[in-house]
Amino acid sequence: MTEDIDMQTEPKDTDWVCVNSTDGFSFLVRRKVAYASGTMRNMLDTESNYAEASTRTCTIYQRGIIVEKLLEYMAFRAHYESVGPKEEIPVHEFMERIPPEIVLELLLAADYQEM
Amino acid sequence: MRRNNVRGPTSALTEYLKASGIRARHINRRGSNLNRGQNEQNGDGDAPDAGPSNSREAGDEAEDGEAGEEPSATRTNATRRRASGYNSDELDASEGDEEPEKTGNKRKGSKPAVAQQKAKEKEKAKAKKKVKKGDDEDEDGEEEDVYHALSKSLWSGSGSSKPPVGSFENCAKCEKQFTVTKYTMVANPGPGFLCHPCAKASGTDPFKKPAAPRKKRPTEKRAVVSFEERKFPTLASMCIDLITKHIDDVEALGDIGTLNAQAISKALSRNRKLTSEHATLFYHVSNTSLTFHDTTDLAPAALSTLARLNPNLTHLHLDYCGQLNNAAFDTFTDSLPHLTHLILLGPFLVHTENWQRFFSTHPSLECFQITQSPRFDLACIKALVRHCGASLTELRLKQVGKLDDACLNELAKLGEWQKLRMLDLSEPSASCSDEAMIELMGAIGRELRVLNLSKHNLLTDTFLEDGLGRHVSQLERLSLNHIPELTDDGVESFFTDWANPPLVEIDLSRNHELGSKALPSLLKHSGKMLEILNINSWKEVSEDALNEIAAYGRELRKLDVGWCRQVDNFVVKAWLDGNPDHEGWTGCPKLTELKIWGCNRITAACPRKKGLSIYGVESQEVII
Repeated sequence: MTEDIDMQTEPKDTDWVCVNSTDGFSFLVRRKVAYASGTMRNMLDTESNYAEASTRTCTIYQRGIIVEKLLEYMAFRAHYESVGPKEEIPVHEFMERIPPEIVLELLLAADYQEM
Repeated sequence: MRRNNVRGPTSALTEYLKASGIRARHINRRGSNLNRGQNEQNGDGDAPDAGPSNSREAGDEAEDGEAGEEPSATRTNATRRRASGYNSDELDASEGDEEPEKTGNKRKGSKPAVAQQKAKEKEKAKAKKKVKKGDDEDEDGEEEDVYHALSKSLWSGSGSSKPPVGSFENCAKCEKQFTVTKYTMVANPGPGFLCHPCAKASGTDPFKKPAAPRKKRPTEKRAVVSFEERKFPTLASMCIDLITKHIDDVEALGDIGTLNAQAISKALSRNRKLTSEHATLFYHVSNTSLTFHDTTDLAPAALSTLARLNPNLTHLHLDYCGQLNNAAFDTFTDSLPHLTHLILLGPFLVHTENWQRFFSTHPSLECFQITQSPRFDLACIKALVRHCGASLTELRLKQVGKLDDACLNELAKLGEWQKLRMLDLSEPSASCSDEAMIELMGAIGRELRVLNLSKHNLLTDTFLEDGLGRHVSQLERLSLNHIPELTDDGVESFFTDWANPPLVEIDLSRNHELGSKALPSLLKHSGKMLEILNINSWKEVSEDALNEIAAYGRELRKLDVGWCRQVDNFVVKAWLDGNPDHEGWTGCPKLTELKIWGCNRITAACPRKKGLSIYGVESQEVII
C-alpha cells in the first residue's frame, strides 16, 4: 500500500456527511450544510471524538420526510446565510413548502437540532 | 394676506405688472391723487376726505373716457351706488392697518376686471411718467404697507425692462439723469430706476451681491450606517408561524399525543412564543396535567380560558405567570375543583383574599409551591393550614416577602398531620429566627425529605444542633446556602452526630466560614450516597479535604467547587481517576458536571474525561 487513506483529515466544508433517518433513508450533504444545525455541528465536531464525528454519519431520530425537510432548511440556510444584505431571503417561499401536516413534528425536530 | 407671501395663481399680465412694480393700489392711489387734484381744481366742493372713494371711479372714468363711453356709463351708476361703502378706503389707504377692509377694497377694485385691466394697462404707461414727475410723496409715507423684500427682478433686471448698461436714465426719485450701470436698481415703489445716491439713500446697498440662491441643504449625503442585524429565521420559528396560521384548523396539524404535546409546549416556551392562540392546542377536557413554562404572553382572559377548557386538571404548573390576576385566579378556584398540585412562578397579582378562597375550596391540595409573592401573608398561611393541612405534602413559599416567625408558628400546626415531605422557605425578605425555626422543625421535621432554608441569614449552629440534629431524621436533600453564621466547627459536629441517613443532595454554598473540618465530616456522613454537592465559596477548604471527595464520591453526579481556592489540576485528576496513593479512593466515576468557576489554580491543562462537562476553566496562564 503506497497510499494510506487518513480517516482523520482536517474537516473541510466540502466534505460529505451522511444523515440517516429512522426509517432507512440516507442523505448525503456537505459538511457546511450539516453545520447549519447546532446539534449536528457538535456531533460532527472532530475534537469531541464522537462516533458521528469519526464516521461522518449522523442519525436523526425522525421519519424520512422530516429529515428531508430538515436538510432542506439546512441547505437553504447554508446557501442564504452568506448572501449580501441586499439580497432577499425567500423565507416565505420556504414556508410555503412546509406541509402543515408535519409542522408539529418538524418543530420538535428543529428544536432538537437547534435551528 | 400679502405679507404672508402666499399667493394664489396669477395671470401672466399680473405677473408682468408685479415685476415692473405696478400694483393695483398704486394705480388707485395715483388715480385718486389725480382726481383729487381735478376735483379741487373743479371746485367741486366735496370734502377732501370723502373724495377718494369716488375718486377712484372718477379717475377710472377719466381714463375710460379716452377708450370708450359704454363701460364707464354703466359703471358709473354702479359705483355711485356703492360709493358709501368706500368711506373706509381713505382711512385704509392712509393708515394702512385695517387689513380686512383693505382686502375687501382690493377685491372690489378688481371686480370690473376687464375695464380695470384696460385701465391698468394705460395707467402703467402713464404712471411711469407720473412717478417720474415726483408726485408720489404720500406713497413714501405708506411704505410700511408695501411688500419690502426686493424681488429678484430688482437685481437681475430680467423681469423688468432695465435699460442697457451705459444708457442714460432719469432717476425715479431725484429726477437727475444718470448712467445705467450694472448696479442700477429699480425704484422700489413704482416704476423707474434709481440713481446711485438715491439707491444708497433708500437703504439698500447697490453693490450687494444678490443673495445666492439658497443652496438646498444636501439631504443626508453622508452615508448613514445602519446596523441591521440580519437574523436568519430559525426553522423552529417558521414552524411556529405555520402553527399559528393553521391553529384554527387543528386537523391540519395532525394528531398530537400527550407526550408530544408536552414537548411542543416546551418548544414553544423555549422560543417564547406560547400565546393564547397556541395554548389552545394543549387544552382538552380530559387533561389532568398541564405545564407551561412560559406564560408571559397569556393575558388574564387567556388564563381563565385555560381553567375553563381543562376542568379536570389535577396538576397545574405555570411559570412566569405574572399576568395571573385575581379574576383569573378566581376562575382557577371555581373551574378546577380537582386541583391537587399547584406550582406557580411569579403570581404577584393575586391578593390575600383570593388565596384564602382558593384554599377553602381545595381541601385536598397536596402540593402548593409558589415563588415570588409579595402579598402572601399570615392570613393566607392560616387558611392554608386550616383547609389543606391534612393533605399537604409539599410546600414551597420561596421569595415570599412577608414570611416571618409568626408564619413559622402557624406552619408548625402542620405537625398535627405529619404529612409534609418537602418544605422550601428560602429567600425571604427578612430572615426568621433560630427559635421559631427550631420550633417548626420540632413540629414537622420528622417526615421531611427535602428542606430548603437558604438565605435565612440569622440561623446559627444552634439551629443545626437543636433543629435539624434533634428533629429531622429522614432528610434526603438539604439546602442551606447564604447562611453566614454557620461555623466550620458547628457544621463538623453536626454531621458527625446527625442520626439522619446519608443525604442525596447537599447545598451549603456561599457559607464562607465552612472549610476543612466541615467537608470531611459531611463526606463521612453522606458521601456514600451523595449525588449532588455544592460547596461553592468555601474559600478556606484545604486540598486534603477536597481530595477526600475522591474517597467518597462514588455516586457523585454534580459537583460545584467554585471559588474554592485550593482546587487545582491534581485535585480534579484525583476526582476523575481516583487516587492511587490511597486504597479505595476510586474517584467519582459518575460525575457528569463539574463547576470550577473562580478556581485560580486550575489551568488549561485541567484533566478532562468523556461524559464529563467541566465549566469555568480559564485557559489564560500567567507565565512568570
